[in-house]
Amino acid sequence: MKSYEYSPYDDRTQTLRQIDKYNASFRRVPASPLIPRPITLSESTGPVELPRRWNAGKLDLSRVAENGPRAVGQLIRVSGRVTDEDGSPAAGVVMEIWQANAAGKYVHAMDDHAAPLDPNFIGQGRLVTDEDGRYEAFTIKPGAYPVLYSGWWWRPPHIHFSILGLSWMNRFITQIFFPGEPLNETDLLLNGVPSGSLGNDVRERLIFEHGDTVMGDLSYINFRRDFVLRGHRRTPELA
Amino acid sequence: MKRVVSPCNTTGPYFPREFSDGNEDLTRRDGATARGEHIILAGRVLELEAKPTWNMVLEIWQADANGVYRHPLDPRSAEVDPGFWNWGRARTNQDGWYRFRTVLPGGNLRIPHINCAVLGIGLTRRLVTTIFFAGNMGAAPDPVLDCVVDPELRRRLIARRDPSLDADGAAGYGFDVILRGEGETPFFVD
Repeated sequence: MKSYEYSPYDDRTQTLRQIDKYNASFRRVPASPLIPRPITLSESTGPVELPRRWNAGKLDLSRVAENGPRAVGQLIRVSGRVTDEDGSPAAGVVMEIWQANAAGKYVHAMDDHAAPLDPNFIGQGRLVTDEDGRYEAFTIKPGAYPVLYSGWWWRPPHIHFSILGLSWMNRFITQIFFPGEPLNETDLLLNGVPSGSLGNDVRERLIFEHGDTVMGDLSYINFRRDFVLRGHRRTPELA
Repeated sequence: MKRVVSPCNTTGPYFPREFSDGNEDLTRRDGATARGEHIILAGRVLELEAKPTWNMVLEIWQADANGVYRHPLDPRSAEVDPGFWNWGRARTNQDGWYRFRTVLPGGNLRIPHINCAVLGIGLTRRLVTTIFFAGNMGAAPDPVLDCVVDPELRRRLIARRDPSLDADGAAGYGFDVILRGEGETPFFVD
């Protein structure tokens, strides 16, 4: 086990904590400044046995049962590589994925959008990264949906990713958008980034890269997104 | 070359309940029962004006009753309690309540504590805090608690014994997470 150093997130590389018109952020983000603290054993350790606990492995969200019918929608494959800041693979870590169906409806009790569910789509699951930190999952392209209480805000298609790294400091959650979607221009969460070129870079890293199209027995479109988790290997002490 | 850390974003309102449910009890693992004093750690997650939050996600990470983590960086990891998970996840109900069943953690060179993270709608980044236990504060200094200078803020990091939370032989401890507003919980730089 390598020893890691963790720096606090650099705000210039991150989504803003409070976003204009995203009202919940003004009700829930603490008003007091966050308190700096050292990293001890309890923060540099974490739940390494979750793959076994959850029996997670490969993931195909595009159907409920193996060899069952596919969900309605555009079949896509999302993939990429999870690394640390040095580029070393985050191998054998759990990734949780969830998303709306092609009609923009989640299988969730709190979703009040009057769009249909799809019996062949659950829209949530877990996988484990391989030894090179790679992940892949077939799914369908999610639909857009309205944030009903807002009166105006339509969420563009996006997929949620949650990664449980090998330490408490390596917990990572985000949502990734699709390139070229008109609703991307008005989405609060995609555009809640620092101003200027650094913010553009953050925004770019919240959007999938359009990958190859594949034609054959199974025809689908690839979308790619790599993830970089916080942490780099401790500089070796000189002998 | 050092790579740029990926941008976090909010879980939103639809974090699957199936991802939380079944992970609130840390005391039963592979048919074994955790050693040590079983406790219920419960409370409400409140936003501005003490309003309850629904469907917020809490994650905890702690040592077992002997202070051991199931992790290769803990030199004592081979001794870890086979009946204990170290990690848990819960979500708040309509009234803002969360509830874990776990054990009082052991020390491992720190005052016994539980690391706690809050995720959910309104939070583009997780919030992290550390929970200590009244009556279990020990005499040792704690490098994280020592960063909190104001005694009132330190007090807010301590879970209190609350017999109304007792259940199935586990002693109840109450810990409200106040995200913003009066009595705001101290959170740490992440």
